[in-house]
Amino acid sequence: MAHEFDAIVVGSGITGGWAAKELTEAGLKVLMIERGRDIQHGDYPRETKAPWDLPFRGEGDQTLYTSDYAVQRLNRHFTEFTQDHFVNDRENPYVTADDTRFTWFRSYQLGGRSLTWGRQCYRWSDYDFGANARDGRGTDWPIRYADLAPWYDKVESFVGVSGAHEGLAQLPDGKFQPAMALNVVELAMRERIRAKWPERVLTIGRTANMTEAKPDEGRANCQYRSICARGCSYGAYFSTQSSTLPAATKTGRLTVMTDKVVEAIDYDPATRRVTGVRFIDTKTKARGMATARLVFLNAGAFNSVHVLLNSANAAMPHGLGNSSGVLGTHIMDHANTLSGLAEVPGFEAHTTFGNRPTGIVIPRFRNMDRLDGRGHTRGFSYQGGALQSGWTRGKREAGFGTDFKHDLREAGAWRMVLVGFVECMPRATNRLTLDRTRTDANGLPLLKVDFAFGAEEHAGMVEAHETAKEMLEAAGGRFLFGSTEPGAGGTAIHEMGGARMGHDPATSVLNKWSQAHDVANLFVTDGAQMSSSACQNPSLTYMALTARAAHAAVGMLREGLI
Amino acid sequence: MIAKAPSDPTELRDHLARRDVLRGAALLTLVLGVPAHALVANPTGVSGHQMALLRQVCKLVIPRTDTPGAGDVGVSEFVVLALDHGLLGDGQADHLVWLEHVLGANFATIGAAQQVDRLGAIDRAAFPAGPPPATPSPWRRIKGLILTGYYTSEAGASRELQYELVPGRFDPDLPLHPGDRAWSSDWTAVDFG
Repeated sequence: MAHEFDAIVVGSGITGGWAAKELTEAGLKVLMIERGRDIQHGDYPRETKAPWDLPFRGEGDQTLYTSDYAVQRLNRHFTEFTQDHFVNDRENPYVTADDTRFTWFRSYQLGGRSLTWGRQCYRWSDYDFGANARDGRGTDWPIRYADLAPWYDKVESFVGVSGAHEGLAQLPDGKFQPAMALNVVELAMRERIRAKWPERVLTIGRTANMTEAKPDEGRANCQYRSICARGCSYGAYFSTQSSTLPAATKTGRLTVMTDKVVEAIDYDPATRRVTGVRFIDTKTKARGMATARLVFLNAGAFNSVHVLLNSANAAMPHGLGNSSGVLGTHIMDHANTLSGLAEVPGFEAHTTFGNRPTGIVIPRFRNMDRLDGRGHTRGFSYQGGALQSGWTRGKREAGFGTDFKHDLREAGAWRMVLVGFVECMPRATNRLTLDRTRTDANGLPLLKVDFAFGAEEHAGMVEAHETAKEMLEAAGGRFLFGSTEPGAGGTAIHEMGGARMGHDPATSVLNKWSQAHDVANLFVTDGAQMSSSACQNPSLTYMALTARAAHAAVGMLREGLI
Repeated sequence: MIAKAPSDPTELRDHLARRDVLRGAALLTLVLGVPAHALVANPTGVSGHQMALLRQVCKLVIPRTDTPGAGDVGVSEFVVLALDHGLLGDGQADHLVWLEHVLGANFATIGAAQQVDRLGAIDRAAFPAGPPPATPSPWRRIKGLILTGYYTSEAGASRELQYELVPGRFDPDLPLHPGDRAWSSDWTAVDFG
């Protein structure tokens, strides 16, 4: 049959943008289809507003947030400045299994969550790709670090990642732009911690905020505003709008459709190939379809699973590409909480200027060459940083009047924050299903999330807390607070899995090329493909896997294999 | 980092509503020694007396010095708007009724020193040494909104403190001198400070 496009990319976020870029640059005619509204780069109306320009001074209309943003409001990046970059929860419902919670943070718009992401970019190592094989939990990854290393090189160079080389096996170095500096307190903490525990390395966050401009791509270096989620008209952080979309558009082979939610992917049992997608216009509710020789599913981990489950057909009654029956299972999110907060005396005569858009990271140091975790076999790491208290400390303190005002005029005590990220075990019981008894405004069944952390994550959180306290105190901090209780699933905004990669078609959905075992011209290259979670931020790995899969798909297409 | 609450939006909304009603009622009963339902149902909004009282309290919290104070930049109007829209969780009526009650009907007519004494007692009780009390005084919320209203006003953010939307660089270690004004545009400090 004649196809309208060579490829359809479902979704325009971090991985959808990469798929569109790679496929168009390889010569393919591509349709990128996005369920949300169009946002042009630079069209960020609240980017430069001051708090006093907004009716609620940046804190937002809580009446509206309660009724319409009940989940999204829990995201730290959700403010009156950024609220239009998040979904309306009332209009976009989902359900959770009885007695479970999951905070699903979403951005339905061109660029997806690439506009609101945390921008932390970490390579995974063979401790991560080998984790499932090592302790026998989950299914073995069919790839190792060497398979992905050149693709990490490629995506880091294009994205523009600033970071410091540390030579760590558990957090491989990459193609970095010059690092942003540790502040005076972080530098001291790094040295004090390293003096006592040489294997614990506090380093600057590796972030998709550029320290060197890319004038040829229209991207400036970071201006140290740290208001990224409002949108950055400088293009200083990586987003679809700032980076992959202009590259894909430049080829002249990209078509973008917005406000169209993909209902299902069409499958031809005779050829055992997908033929295109069916979609609904979210405004008019009109249905449409588009055809292509291959489909890249990049709707975001949970929504990609939704599309596959909702694409069940006579030949594949349990969902497209689900002959294994594992589609929707083994979803993960990092267990995440404030592990430790301390006041750090001795730096009262020091301050900083500018708002650095990244914190620090302390990569994992447990369960590497020997299993030394207490009650868990995987990793945990920290992100955080040192900061000087501002006027908001007045909300915690007694006092008022002239002296109080004069006190709040000056910067307050230095504090050091360590937020723990504990690796999440892949479990069959943590899963996504469709609730066909309830539908959304587009008539689509609601996604049902059934997720809970288990003993390993709780043990990791306890150890992360105790270790944070031990490090903060050893480094001269006065410990104030720390938690061992993870936020609800979704808190880390690293939800992943559901269409896991594996060697065996009987126990996994995708092969080592992010290609459906059951359907040769279907690729799923967002977080859904993940077989384990590691304990570092996953987006860079999704990007590298997407670029690698796109290259493989184009090769297969040219060889007539798909 | 993020408040615990149910994830289903409807369930979460109900949870928040229940929590706020219960907490508000418990507080009122505790603080005033009267049944809460008599107060939380007040539908009439803000009275002239409440508004004048709030304005006076704003002036006491952040007085005019070499820069404008909270009474000069519309902070009381912000507090009313914020309470009306549930900023920090509770409705406005109970907070302002509470404030009227604890400050006393004659608050406007007593001398400045007495006003400071009376507000000081409330403030000290609301911010005891040690961890925050399990049932916080409504004063913590009102004072928090006054501070937000002031330090996010143009005068509070850019004259009392310093405001720079586009720093353009990051200096990791600079000398800090007594009297140096903090940055209201240090968003991390605002969030975590």
